[in-house]
Amino acid sequence: MTLKRYALITALISGTMLAGTMSHAAGKVFDKAAGKDTETQGIGVDKNTAIDTDVGIRLPVGFKASVFADGVGTPRHITVSKDGWVYAPMFRSKDGMGGVAMKDDDGDGKADQIHYFAEGRVATAIHIVDNWLYYGEDLQIVRWNLNDGPVPKGEPEVVVSGFPEQRAHANKPMAFDGKGNMYVNVGVPSNNCMVETRKKGSPGQQPCPELARHGGIWRFDADKVGQDQMKDGYRYSTGHRNVNALDWNPYADALYIAQHGRDQLNSFYPELFDAKVSAELPAEEFHRIEEGDNLGWPYSYYDQFKGERMVSPEYGGDGQKVATEGKKPLIGFPGHWAPNDLIFVKGSGLPAEYKTGAFIGFHGSWNRAPEPQQGYRIVYVPLDEAGNISGDWVTFADGFAGEGPIRSPRNAKHRPMGLAEGADGALYITSLMSGGRVWRVTYEGK
Amino acid sequence: MKESNRNQKTVACLGIGMGAFAIALTTLTSYVRAEGEATVDPGKALYEENCGVCHQLDGSGVPFMQPELYTSPRANGDKGGVIQMILKGSKAVEPGTSEFENEMPGFEYLTDEQIALIATYVRTNFENTGGEVTSEDVARERKRN
Repeated sequence: MTLKRYALITALISGTMLAGTMSHAAGKVFDKAAGKDTETQGIGVDKNTAIDTDVGIRLPVGFKASVFADGVGTPRHITVSKDGWVYAPMFRSKDGMGGVAMKDDDGDGKADQIHYFAEGRVATAIHIVDNWLYYGEDLQIVRWNLNDGPVPKGEPEVVVSGFPEQRAHANKPMAFDGKGNMYVNVGVPSNNCMVETRKKGSPGQQPCPELARHGGIWRFDADKVGQDQMKDGYRYSTGHRNVNALDWNPYADALYIAQHGRDQLNSFYPELFDAKVSAELPAEEFHRIEEGDNLGWPYSYYDQFKGERMVSPEYGGDGQKVATEGKKPLIGFPGHWAPNDLIFVKGSGLPAEYKTGAFIGFHGSWNRAPEPQQGYRIVYVPLDEAGNISGDWVTFADGFAGEGPIRSPRNAKHRPMGLAEGADGALYITSLMSGGRVWRVTYEGK
Repeated sequence: MKESNRNQKTVACLGIGMGAFAIALTTLTSYVRAEGEATVDPGKALYEENCGVCHQLDGSGVPFMQPELYTSPRANGDKGGVIQMILKGSKAVEPGTSEFENEMPGFEYLTDEQIALIATYVRTNFENTGGEVTSEDVARERKRN
């Protein structure tokens, strides 16, 4: 037996033992992480069905997808107007334009018109309120009035500016509560507020100065132009790392979010977290956010196996020390899955069992190596009308990444990104990989 | 006669057997040594420890987040470019010119030899043909600023 083979077998055996231990310790949550969930409640994808090769994804029985648009660029979040125009800002500009507007004229589920807009404005977030198209760039939130035409032209109004310049986590995703308020996430510019970003051995800053202007959700008047983050914004919550997925739950009348946990526990602290543990930890957190909440970043992270917030190793944690700071999430999803959008549906296009819960789009991981990358899927979290978890979460759509295991994210054919509901009740999903794709999902009945 | 013949045969068989065993042992030993050397390529090990999580073990990077190292202009360019990148991270790149979201830290705390091994590994793998980097090259680049 060669050394390599011996090492491999040892790794396999210890890996299996570790997985077994974790599975036992974590109960239900890890079963889901391992992909053993979903059929229990009769919702979610049936793992025995094949991925529809025409569209490249798999959906629960009774649902159908069409490729609404292909090769459109790098769409991120997405929104749909009352008359069926579909808008997505992009990560990279196309011919100098940052946004794409699409329309299906003949009702076959495919866009017939594709127009580019928002010259020089790459962006992530988009939302329609009272026929205003809100558009979240990295440094400001702007809006166009769609009464002026379905494809925005000219200079938009600036609703909020003055956000700090940063390289990482610079997106400005937003949510609206239907009562005149807009909630904007300002992500942190670092991984875990180390003195030197992502440098092994660099300690955590105490207190973390990044929390002054980042790491939280700010509330603004949705209808007032010319606001400034610090002068006009109200700090609604703090201690977030990076929230790309947020929406107002209209049933429970509260803000719900899913956030990205920190990276690289193993690369910075190999003596405390081996590669396998670091692939699963920390959890991606799903929360109901109340005014004044503190989620504990950077001082703590959430360990979904222990069901506890733990002290971050940059702040003296050792993987065992339970933290006193930070609210616990409703669900701790597997590490690094990257929740990038979250929506509550309001219309009647979907069956009742999908009515009052949250759809979460997971972009899929990049830092689970040497373990396979994971998470490229849409998840549904059942919630009752009061906003309490009412069942196990299920996979609503998967297959995006193509044949696995995915060793490197580059090999993922598609990575889900944005989610939206059309006025007709259809769901829209974006991916910015492989030239960019938009799917349209409808419920056809069983 | 028959008896001695049999004895001779036994001895001969034993001899052949021992010879085969010796050959097998030698082959096995050298194979194990070769395999052992392959798994402890220090450049590869250092790359995997310090770089692999972001640039991925196969050098493929992460779209929009961290650059791939395949057929990388920097890895195939002059040695200084790679060494400065490892020493300073994103600070080696003119601000605002990177297409990638994540910031790379500097690895100046690694030794000249470790940086040379990583740079050599990147420049001679992932379809790159930039060639070897020595500790002296790294020492020279450190002095440059």
